[in-house]
Amino acid sequence: MVAPLYTTASGLLFHAGKILVVTVGLPARGKTHISRALERYLRWAGVKTQVVSLGDYRRKTLGGAHKLPPDYFAIGEKSPETEALRKKVMEGCEQLIWDHFNGGCQVVIYDANNGTRAQRQTLGQKFDQAGIHVIILESVCNDNKLIERNIRSVKISSPDYRGWDPDKAVDDYYSRIKTRELDYEEVEELTWPFIRIINVGEKIMVNNIRGYLQSRIVFFLMNIHNKYRTIYFARSGHSLIEHSYRADADLSPGGWEYAEKLKDFVVERRRKALAARGLEPKDRRLVIWTSARRRAHHTAWPFIAASDPKTPGGPQLNVKVIEKPQMSEINPGVWDGLTPDQARKYYPEEWDRFVKDPYSFRAPRAESYHDLSVRLEPVLIELERQQEDLLIIGHASVIRCLLAYLIGLPASEIPAIEVARGDLLEVVPASYGVHSQAYHFWDGPGRKHGDEPGTGGNENNFYENYAEDTKGKRRVTVTTEPPAEV
Amino acid sequence: MAESSADAPHRLDQADLTRVDDALQQSKEDAYDTVISSPGIPPVAFGAGGPMLKQFDESNQPSRLGSHPTTPPRSVVGIGGKVAKPDYSEAKIVLAMVSGIFDLPHRYERLGSAGWTACEREVLPQQQAHEWLEYDVKVFNVGQLRRSRARIKKQQSGVKVDHTASYFSFDNVQGTRDRDQLAQDSLEMLIHWLKEGGNVGIHDATNSTRERRRKIEERVAKEKGIVVIFLESECDDPAIIAANVALKVSSGDPDYKDMSPESAKQDFLRRIKEYEAVYESITESHLSYLRIKNVGNQVTLCHIHGYLQSRIAFYLMNLHLKPRSIFFSRHGESQYNVEGKIGGDSPLSERGMKYATALPALITDNIGDAPLTVWTSTLQRTIQTAQHLSYNKLTWKSLDELDAGVCDGMTYEEIEQAYPEDFANRDEDKFNYRYRGGESYRDVVVRLEPVIMELERQENILIIGHQAILRCLYAYFHNLPQADLPYIKIPLHTVIKLTPKAYGCDEERYTLPIGAVDTHRPKPRATQPVLPAHQSSREYYGSHV
Repeated sequence: MVAPLYTTASGLLFHAGKILVVTVGLPARGKTHISRALERYLRWAGVKTQVVSLGDYRRKTLGGAHKLPPDYFAIGEKSPETEALRKKVMEGCEQLIWDHFNGGCQVVIYDANNGTRAQRQTLGQKFDQAGIHVIILESVCNDNKLIERNIRSVKISSPDYRGWDPDKAVDDYYSRIKTRELDYEEVEELTWPFIRIINVGEKIMVNNIRGYLQSRIVFFLMNIHNKYRTIYFARSGHSLIEHSYRADADLSPGGWEYAEKLKDFVVERRRKALAARGLEPKDRRLVIWTSARRRAHHTAWPFIAASDPKTPGGPQLNVKVIEKPQMSEINPGVWDGLTPDQARKYYPEEWDRFVKDPYSFRAPRAESYHDLSVRLEPVLIELERQQEDLLIIGHASVIRCLLAYLIGLPASEIPAIEVARGDLLEVVPASYGVHSQAYHFWDGPGRKHGDEPGTGGNENNFYENYAEDTKGKRRVTVTTEPPAEV
Repeated sequence: MAESSADAPHRLDQADLTRVDDALQQSKEDAYDTVISSPGIPPVAFGAGGPMLKQFDESNQPSRLGSHPTTPPRSVVGIGGKVAKPDYSEAKIVLAMVSGIFDLPHRYERLGSAGWTACEREVLPQQQAHEWLEYDVKVFNVGQLRRSRARIKKQQSGVKVDHTASYFSFDNVQGTRDRDQLAQDSLEMLIHWLKEGGNVGIHDATNSTRERRRKIEERVAKEKGIVVIFLESECDDPAIIAANVALKVSSGDPDYKDMSPESAKQDFLRRIKEYEAVYESITESHLSYLRIKNVGNQVTLCHIHGYLQSRIAFYLMNLHLKPRSIFFSRHGESQYNVEGKIGGDSPLSERGMKYATALPALITDNIGDAPLTVWTSTLQRTIQTAQHLSYNKLTWKSLDELDAGVCDGMTYEEIEQAYPEDFANRDEDKFNYRYRGGESYRDVVVRLEPVIMELERQENILIIGHQAILRCLYAYFHNLPQADLPYIKIPLHTVIKLTPKAYGCDEERYTLPIGAVDTHRPKPRATQPVLPAHQSSREYYGSHV
């Protein structure tokens, strides 16, 4: 259970106090990837979290590598000026960490090499004396392929190497790593609780981790990976009664049509995306998650039909469909089946509060978006762990929560994310965040508010229930492409 | 009416759509007509009690012919139905125990819920069925297999087999060979069970040498789709070891049935020495393993892939050994209880209020001034029940009662009248029956998983909950099978106190003399499940071979 059940006066959650996570590791060991992922997860959970990156800070204050003195990353003795410069950067970062703690942050993640024992000891003591829990997070990598991949995909595109020849940049970066290796000392001291991650999750060692928030951090780190995969999101097809949770209505004729279109479009889009990387869809299974609602599960039926092993000539698709009861849409409680007018009429006070704060307000017997986030947390962890390509056929409210997590949007914006029926959202996790893009593939009933009457889509029969419908406060920042050809 | 044939390609039929829309409009109006008499209360649209649901189901027949899936569509009408067990066929794990100097048997026993059921099976006494939440988990204990075989031998030949420490000496060639054979046999049984549909088989042997681990690895590698994880539990903290020795000797371990505690202790310490002599900690870096040292102080995870595997790891990291109790109480009798209605969010009845007033004294009498946290659901009947308790209180949305969907707010008689067949179906397989627009017991079990994880971490907790919710939690702590779960008796105005012990849960019940209606519905035409009355007296068969 991760999302906060209550907040305390100090704004700190889970009685965990303040925590400084100190990353340790040579360059290109995935420290930034891990730091950013952890930051995203903790923020989503409501914990005020900030990454302080030494590299970013240096680039911001001193500029890219070309502006540095030549001995900044060099081996051996450095000039006093360079030493002073390095010291200045380090002190600046420390000050930044203090500022964040003083500004109300509960967790600060210090993303830097912190390669020597003496460094860690000095740093740890300073914060420990101020009552801040210090956790060491070491990322070790002894797989050269992983390191090379990391350098090529992330490091050489950094501002330090703008305009460089890629191979030269890689060589330069390796020499930077070499320098660091000279005085690097693996974490052996047991002064602070520590977590060691080997080869981005292949092996994890944990020592002296205590309490809920800390063990949550470990559990999360156990589940992340940085392999290439794609996550697709699509809403379920239009159903006969969109606005009732209880009726659990089946797809409308338009919904069935949508389901077929969705299948064709996903297959085609995925083929293109994989081909661009030289991959074959047949070798990579597509996993589909739906809720246990009829409209969502039935939207996946064309996929099931196409993967039937009894098809003459073999199955067309390699998919597996999994039904997840935790993924039902937001529960509207007493408002179930009501039109907005009726809801406003019968529950005027609740209605006002709902409109003011749709994220945390819970109508009688309903779920707030916050409740929904709590319910979805196990799904989210499973989403992180999933290595195969994934298509989530879900409800607007559920997609909003999951998308907000992946993109890193604040909780208050979740209810206003526009998730249009007929758009396929493609999300590819990358090192610093995710690349997301929306592809429009379908027009028909239930796509827009105020569809023509008689097509089954109208103002009152658009969102699956009224708690979901907090329309149009803000569009999610995804680029929409013109309708793709299928 | 366009009666489209099942083979014809589907076409949008404007007539269908218009008809559905009309029916919807008509039934809406009907529904509102019937409630006009009670102003201020909004119409319950789509409840199973009104005409709307049936009309709607009848009107939308053609839309179900849309696609041509491989399996026939599930029933789209009525108030619910049995849902097939989710496909867990890809989760097949051998969890092989590597006991260090001391393993902590209850840690992994809880994997299959808390403790073992008291009823032993005669045929295969070394196998105990467990269910970890929604997965099938089973422990294959080599020590039990050894003892049961020895018992049979004794019955047949009258020879009592020596199972004191000298048997466990690795100098005892015959003994070593016997134990290898036993470990192999139980692994075969385990693999067989996994192939039959199990999910997690716990191979509860010592597996403390590289040689044994290599054998297991090679054997499992022959089976497609089955993975093996080694679980090593080590301890070098003298205090924990001493506590464990005392526990093992005093808890009625059958190996020490006829020995004085002191000589049992000596023998057991000697047995540990024998193990220590040949013990090899896992250093094979290619293996998938989880090592826990000193009750979670240090944890190492290596090659743990897959969601279920990582959940197991997280779960084991969060167990603790501190003594504590968990109290369960249903809310006081509610207005709906009195009226025989299910679901809803009604306030307490007068008698329910009395219970709420009497509850604090009962709790204080029991735990004195020990710290306690009260968990309630978000429904007002649990919050009202907790109102006089002066402890820290938390409300959990996840503790809300099973959602009866379209049947919410109806009495069982009303449901039976409106949907007689569906109603009868529920008792066929109550665990997997999902109310339309609502939940099944299995759904609730899935929803409660984070609550259980949190409960394992906490100390004294009082949960003021609902019947279905407490049934699930109770079944978890007592490890009761899924089929019996929906029929567990959790009466009103009763506090159930569970105290987790190393090998199970002690239970006490306190009933307050405040009358309440009985909301228990026994399974028709079936005998009541035999529930273990007293858990701690359960015999435990040690995990060492």
